[in-house]
Amino acid sequence: MLALRLTRAARPAVQLRRLLVAAAAAGTGFLLLSCLGYALKHPQAAGSAALRLSWCAGPLAATVYLALAVARTDPATRPRTGMSAVGLGPARLMAVSALTTALSCTLGSMLALLVFLHLRGDLSGLPFDGAAADFLAAGLPLPAPAVLTLLAVLPATATTTVAVALRPKDPRPLRREPRRFGRFGATGGASARESFGAYGRFGARSGGRTGRNTAAVGQAGSPAAEGALPAAGDPPAAGGRVPGAAAVPERDGTSPAPDGTTAADSPAPDAAPAGTRPGTAPAGLPWGIALVTAGLAVQAYAGRPVPVPAPAVLLGWLLTGTGLVLAAPGLTHLCGRLLQTSRPGALRLLSGRVLMTEAARIGRPLGVVCAVASTGYALTALDDGSSRTFGPLSALAALVVAGCTVATLLTVAVEARQCRADTTAALLRLGATATLLRGAAALRAVALLVLFGPLTVAVAALSALPQAG
Amino acid sequence: MEAPPDNDVLWARSLHFTHRDGSPGLTGISLGVREGEILAVSGPRGSGKTTLLRCLSGLVPVRSGEVWFNSAPVHTLGPMARERLRRDRFGWIDPEPVLVPELNVWENAALPLMLRGAGRRRSKAAALEWLERLDIGDKARSRPRALRHAERQRVAIARALAPGPTVLFADEPTAPLHRADRTHVLRTLTSAARSHGITVVLATHDPDTAALADRTVALLDGRRVHTVQLPDTPDTEGRAACSLSV
Repeated sequence: MLALRLTRAARPAVQLRRLLVAAAAAGTGFLLLSCLGYALKHPQAAGSAALRLSWCAGPLAATVYLALAVARTDPATRPRTGMSAVGLGPARLMAVSALTTALSCTLGSMLALLVFLHLRGDLSGLPFDGAAADFLAAGLPLPAPAVLTLLAVLPATATTTVAVALRPKDPRPLRREPRRFGRFGATGGASARESFGAYGRFGARSGGRTGRNTAAVGQAGSPAAEGALPAAGDPPAAGGRVPGAAAVPERDGTSPAPDGTTAADSPAPDAAPAGTRPGTAPAGLPWGIALVTAGLAVQAYAGRPVPVPAPAVLLGWLLTGTGLVLAAPGLTHLCGRLLQTSRPGALRLLSGRVLMTEAARIGRPLGVVCAVASTGYALTALDDGSSRTFGPLSALAALVVAGCTVATLLTVAVEARQCRADTTAALLRLGATATLLRGAAALRAVALLVLFGPLTVAVAALSALPQAG
Repeated sequence: MEAPPDNDVLWARSLHFTHRDGSPGLTGISLGVREGEILAVSGPRGSGKTTLLRCLSGLVPVRSGEVWFNSAPVHTLGPMARERLRRDRFGWIDPEPVLVPELNVWENAALPLMLRGAGRRRSKAAALEWLERLDIGDKARSRPRALRHAERQRVAIARALAPGPTVLFADEPTAPLHRADRTHVLRTLTSAARSHGITVVLATHDPDTAALADRTVALLDGRRVHTVQLPDTPDTEGRAACSLSV
């Protein structure tokens, strides 16, 4: 009920994002159902039908990705101040956002079922009645369990993914320490000083390990130092949080928080994916480059004029796409670093540093868009040579995948803007003009376009080269 | 009403302000801020201190009344002109030190100068000088998240002081700090303002803080009062005489 109430009273932009999820779910559901139609029509060609079903994994993954991004951006599921006191804590908010996702995905699935039945001719009285009757196995009875199973796949997957991704996390970092052995080889923390015999007395024989000893003493001796450790001395812990809201949770170690709720529940749901320290580059760049080159090499070896995509070509595309996704955060970080080099003014400083900080968040969907775009480019380049053309279902699948990835990128941009809202407000109070902030955003977009556009085209041209020639 | 003296840098006449939801903010406040003085605006929470500072600095337009800065009207300016005035003449310190988390400390402090169009070298020199003066020069290259809260607040003060504003508005700059940090922050702020002749309007609910100022203006429920004397709460309230039928 609460989820429904929160869903109803949202702003139009939020409803538009949810409708996008519903539309993507409708497209994916229709693709799944048309696989079922094909299987009903051709009961003898089971292998071909299974292949068609497996091709639906692409749109399915893209839709789930979009649903996750939309759930992260949803203001209804954002922790608000004071809501924890009325019982709307992080776990409850996770449940609410999962329920909202399930709602929009189920709506999309219902829509897909309606369109499917309509195009088959089961529902009459509308235009295009039974337009694709032969294609979707009209006349044959539709097995209800199969339809329900296929339609339930997407809402179940999306809801589970959202629930797992937004589950409340402990804001305190998991402290990883090398395992030490205590006194006489007993396991356990050696936090207390060795106080047995002559070895422990007067600090004798501790010359070689002073650093370790003092650290251990400092940890054991003062709980205040231990409490302040995550705030002051542990940058990786802070990296996973929202950069804009970083001032709030870091306060807990050093000063009394005005209300304890914000410090406890603010960082949980919108932690940046794979957060790293803002100063350091994301680590995936070498792996990404290696995978891209490996994928291109595989495609070059498989480069025969083949009528259908051979498994090697498919593997090459998969490797290239994964490499692009892995390399994109590092490239985004590099882009920001290049923007702010050599004596930057306020404009370049703001745009470059923000790009460096948001590299982990923005880069991943950007890499997905690049991979999809380069695959599409290579596919069209290949398709000109052969006589095989796109059917309506392939076009629908391509539309779902492309639309979902682009919508995910835009949604993530919105999320980044939301996370930086208080910093933007502070900048405006400081006297920064709105023109300057808009200019910084435009500069970021242009820089990303300049870096990633030619990269996508180059990768696509390289991967299409062996097959074409 | 007395005529404002000539050395008033900022004065307000019968300011009225109503919040957007209709709740009353200020009801008829008149005050003058002399040049180079530290004026404390005191009062309990919810008495309109922040609203008064926001009206005086041109962050929000007043509903009726006048605000004059250096014999020029502020209340008639448009949003763009008010923004330019804020950027060029005013400084602002928040209760929370909201620094840009992507920039390091000296870049944060130099940002207002850069926003005014000053060169990078000049901005950096001024920012580093102010950071040195506020005892955080050794952390000029670290990120804000690596600093403690009091240090971040000092960075915010350096950021507000670095462009050399004519008037500095400090909205409870020491509210979330412990007393030791509070004294340090306040002392640096007031001594810097006095040595550079910067006018400071300081909102505070703490009488100890208000004692550092030259003059104190007391607010209560959006009005200017001369003494804040609330009636003592009777001892029996809430304990023995708890009855819903009163």
